[in-house]
Amino acid sequence: MKIRKFAFAASAVTMGLVVAACSPPAEEESEGPAEDTAVTIGWNQPFYSYNENTSNGNATANAIIKYMMNSGFNYYNPDLELVPDESFGTYEKTSDDPLTVTYTINEDVEWSDGTPVDAADMLLTWAAQGGHLNTIEAGDVERNPDTNVPEAGDDVFFDSSSAGLALVSETPEISDDGRSMTMTYDEPFADWEVDMSIPVPAHVTVQQALDTEDPAEAKQQLIDAVNEKDNEALAQVANFWNSGFDFSALPDDESLYLSNGAYVMTDFVENQYITLEPHEGYAGDRGASIQTVTVRWNEDPLAQAQALENGELDLFAPQATTDVLQAVEGIDGVEVESGVEGTYEHVDLVLDNGGPFDPESYDGDEETALAVRKAFLTAYPRQEIVDKLVTPLAEGSEVRNSFMLTDGAPGYDEMVESNGMSEEYTGDVEAAQQILSDAGVDTPIDVRMMFAEGNVRRENEFEIARPVMREAGFNLVDRRNVDWGSKLGDGTYDSVFFGWQSTSTAVSADKETFGTGGLNNLNGYSNEEVDGLFDQLIVTTDPDEQLDIQMQIEQILVDDAIGATIFQFPAVAAWRSDRISNVQPAPLSPTIFYGFWDWEVPS
Amino acid sequence: MIMFFVRRLLTSSLVVLVSTLIMYVLVDLAIDPLEDLRLSTAPNKQQLIDSREALLSLNDPVLVRYLDWLGGVFGCFTGSCDLGTNWRTSQPVTSLLAGAVGTTLQLITAATLIAIVLGVLVGIVSALRQYTGFDYSITFLSFLLYSLPVFWVAVLLKQFAAIEFNTFLNNDPSVPLWFYAVMILLVGGFVTAAMGGPWLVRLRNFAIAGGAMLVTLLYIDLTGWLTDPALTIVGVAVGAIASAFALTTLSTGLRDRRALGAALTVAGLGIALYYPLQYLWYYLEETLLIILGLGVLSIVVGVLVGLAWGGPDRWRSARTAALTAIPVSGLLFVEQLLVNWERYSNSGLIRGRPIATFGRTTPNFEGSFWLETLDLLAHLVLPTLTLILISFAAYTRYTRASTLEVLNQDYIRTARAKGLTERTVVMRHAFRNALIPLASIVPVDIITLVGGAVITETIFNWFGMGKLFVDSLNGNIIDPVMAYLLIVAILAVVANFVADLVYAVLDPRIRVNA
Repeated sequence: MKIRKFAFAASAVTMGLVVAACSPPAEEESEGPAEDTAVTIGWNQPFYSYNENTSNGNATANAIIKYMMNSGFNYYNPDLELVPDESFGTYEKTSDDPLTVTYTINEDVEWSDGTPVDAADMLLTWAAQGGHLNTIEAGDVERNPDTNVPEAGDDVFFDSSSAGLALVSETPEISDDGRSMTMTYDEPFADWEVDMSIPVPAHVTVQQALDTEDPAEAKQQLIDAVNEKDNEALAQVANFWNSGFDFSALPDDESLYLSNGAYVMTDFVENQYITLEPHEGYAGDRGASIQTVTVRWNEDPLAQAQALENGELDLFAPQATTDVLQAVEGIDGVEVESGVEGTYEHVDLVLDNGGPFDPESYDGDEETALAVRKAFLTAYPRQEIVDKLVTPLAEGSEVRNSFMLTDGAPGYDEMVESNGMSEEYTGDVEAAQQILSDAGVDTPIDVRMMFAEGNVRRENEFEIARPVMREAGFNLVDRRNVDWGSKLGDGTYDSVFFGWQSTSTAVSADKETFGTGGLNNLNGYSNEEVDGLFDQLIVTTDPDEQLDIQMQIEQILVDDAIGATIFQFPAVAAWRSDRISNVQPAPLSPTIFYGFWDWEVPS
Repeated sequence: MIMFFVRRLLTSSLVVLVSTLIMYVLVDLAIDPLEDLRLSTAPNKQQLIDSREALLSLNDPVLVRYLDWLGGVFGCFTGSCDLGTNWRTSQPVTSLLAGAVGTTLQLITAATLIAIVLGVLVGIVSALRQYTGFDYSITFLSFLLYSLPVFWVAVLLKQFAAIEFNTFLNNDPSVPLWFYAVMILLVGGFVTAAMGGPWLVRLRNFAIAGGAMLVTLLYIDLTGWLTDPALTIVGVAVGAIASAFALTTLSTGLRDRRALGAALTVAGLGIALYYPLQYLWYYLEETLLIILGLGVLSIVVGVLVGLAWGGPDRWRSARTAALTAIPVSGLLFVEQLLVNWERYSNSGLIRGRPIATFGRTTPNFEGSFWLETLDLLAHLVLPTLTLILISFAAYTRYTRASTLEVLNQDYIRTARAKGLTERTVVMRHAFRNALIPLASIVPVDIITLVGGAVITETIFNWFGMGKLFVDSLNGNIIDPVMAYLLIVAILAVVANFVADLVYAVLDPRIRVNA
């Protein structure tokens, strides 16, 4: 009995060994793209909307991916100059008064489904962003209580806005060949050159909204609906435009992610990565140079640094901190470039809260208040802050000396020479003491200083400033706050320092910061002369004249001593030099993705 | 019993309801949905703010918004669940949760299982060798691990187990001398201390364990195993036979010749199938389902083999054989993974750096079931290790304590007095009872992990529940935060409830009464 069972076991083993005599076959399969054509880029926030022109989709996370997928009439280079892309189309200012601009898209430009890009696409942008077709306001939109998506009704509501297109109330004219569109502005507008973009294909929007089959028919439907103000159709179109292009994983319907630029989206895994491959039909100048571009998401900059070291990422742009910089600089074969980003730090003085900078505190004596403000800004250690906190991150960083222009932008040097900020606000404590004693003000003056609690850099800025200011005659009262963002403008502080984020070089935006009652004017500053100059600036389209007016405004701002700029935020980009070269990070979105057409994989 | 159920259900629901209200108000106070717009200098800033306020009804009182949200939640009872939307991406929270729960489960399943098995094993041995060097070392180690901060362990693991290890693998690896010395001392010392006994026995045990380690390391070193690993049929055979003996020892004792025979038969079958399986893998389009099916099949075969050995205690043999089938089929599975290792490691997207530091998969990586499994494992290994290191310690402590308590009881003394073998006393009388307290801890522990491997998920970039919560909170998006809190609250209540019930079922001394 027992023997039989052992025999069974033994024979089973033997059989196995006999089979072993012949070796099993090996498998042959491919495992994704070969190494020399793929680049992986790290970013912090996942893509979530193909339409980056909606209020919600308007985020860098979307813009960087769309930058690689969509072409346009112009783009910013790293020096913040606007470069026209004539391989996409041309635009021409045909008249100054009224400001009239004609956009023409080249004949061979097409979406990745083969439909041409034409004026219908531009018309949709105008329809959506101009706001002239909306029949209701944002607050009146009925939203589905379950999904919060605006309800499709008879009311038209495009959830988007544009300061420039809002000035084009007349419906633009489309040329007979359907490739040109002419827009006539109600009044001149300074930033007209950046008004026209084509975020989404018009034919897909209409096809999806109105169940049309043929792309050409869909385009015509849109043009008709806009011209005839067909609200029923427009309501559907608007509805789809608002949210139909939002997705967080690759949609089944390929028409939702068409491309008219260098790359097409080929894969998108929720919260993990997006893969882009060259768009075969793209004939423009800014073409794909790398076969597979993958963008992976990870929020933690140190984790990204380790991933770079481990070869999982080839390029990334972390938030610049000393830790991260040290981490990436310690990695072999990694090139690190320090630069600046769009955000700039500045210090504001509040003029209308009854505090030390408000003339009311001196019984309406403007001169004394002005002297106190001047003394404060003169003593403020801007250079020391930059030397101690910014230079370690970005070699060669300098104090920013202009309210409106970024260091390196066209006209910055002339501005610095003329506005007087660099000569007056030198950090000279004795000069500040002198100003205060001349004005006959009792020192020390209590200044409630608000800043971001938990933000190490800002906490350090405060620590640097406090002793210097004390010497000059100002007692900085620590008003750090986690909710500082929502407290801005509430009058509970006398001075605040934080960063303004710029996403474009549009000159019209600054009116909100310095004009009377402006949205970003949190200090109660009001100067009729400045308001007048801004009104003039906004309708000036010539860049040289714009700079001239900007210089006049800044001179007044410095004379009125309402605040000072401190530094441009440092930015770091790091990449594996054996995997990618020719990276040219730009200060504004799309930052590291700028110049993707020049990227190369070193051999 | 029913009254107990009803009462618990009612009080628990009330607890959950009240906690949602408190949390909703607190979260609403904590976040600022306009945060990203406040510092914007965009020309259309006012329009953006208006649009955001309208979208989120920010001008309504918080209680109105809470009731709106609660209304959606109550929809779950009528089949139309609405937990709100992530307003930034317009995704319904229900679909966000589905992805997050899946990710978290994938992340914690292996870690939890391994941590429990290892923790219990080490805990019991530690209790059996109470107040010896082994016990003290384990106690020291478990407290050390228990007190380590997760983020620190994770970063160190990334540095040494991923970056440095990958570099090591890439540069024609060979085992360094110090590693030989350390491993032989460590393994030899551990085995010797765990087995105990007089000096001569210890010396013998050390020689055996250390020798085995030396041979293994030499083999690894000399055959280029680090870059092209394989167990080969010899490795599988050694492993299968060793596990047959080990499991028989634990399950029935080696004296039960039929059980040993059954276990060895299963091991033999596994060895015999080594080459046939390679053909099977070649011709078969494997999926996870098929692999799991084969695993179950092997256990069934184990039972049948045990029964075929017959005898009065045939079910004991069946149990032993079935238990043996698990490591044997596991070895065959691992072997196939190892065979594919070099292919994986050298593929164009991996470039010889297999151990990953973040994410769930390598983007765009496509290959056979084995390669994709390897890819998943290469991404899982570090987070799993992190979670194990930290939860293993707690299980060790619990098991040690409860085993010690049980071992000191009268019935154990009785069992010893009536002449039962030490194996029977420990495995049958002590072990089972020692597990009772663990049964009430494990459910709560698992639920906690489901809700919150926050740090591990963040550092290793797994978009699970914890990361969903943290990201939404940072992004000022209230609905996913509330959904997370709701689920965690419900799970916490359920876990405690289950723990109570399990306790009552396992321990007859406890009665569940109304």
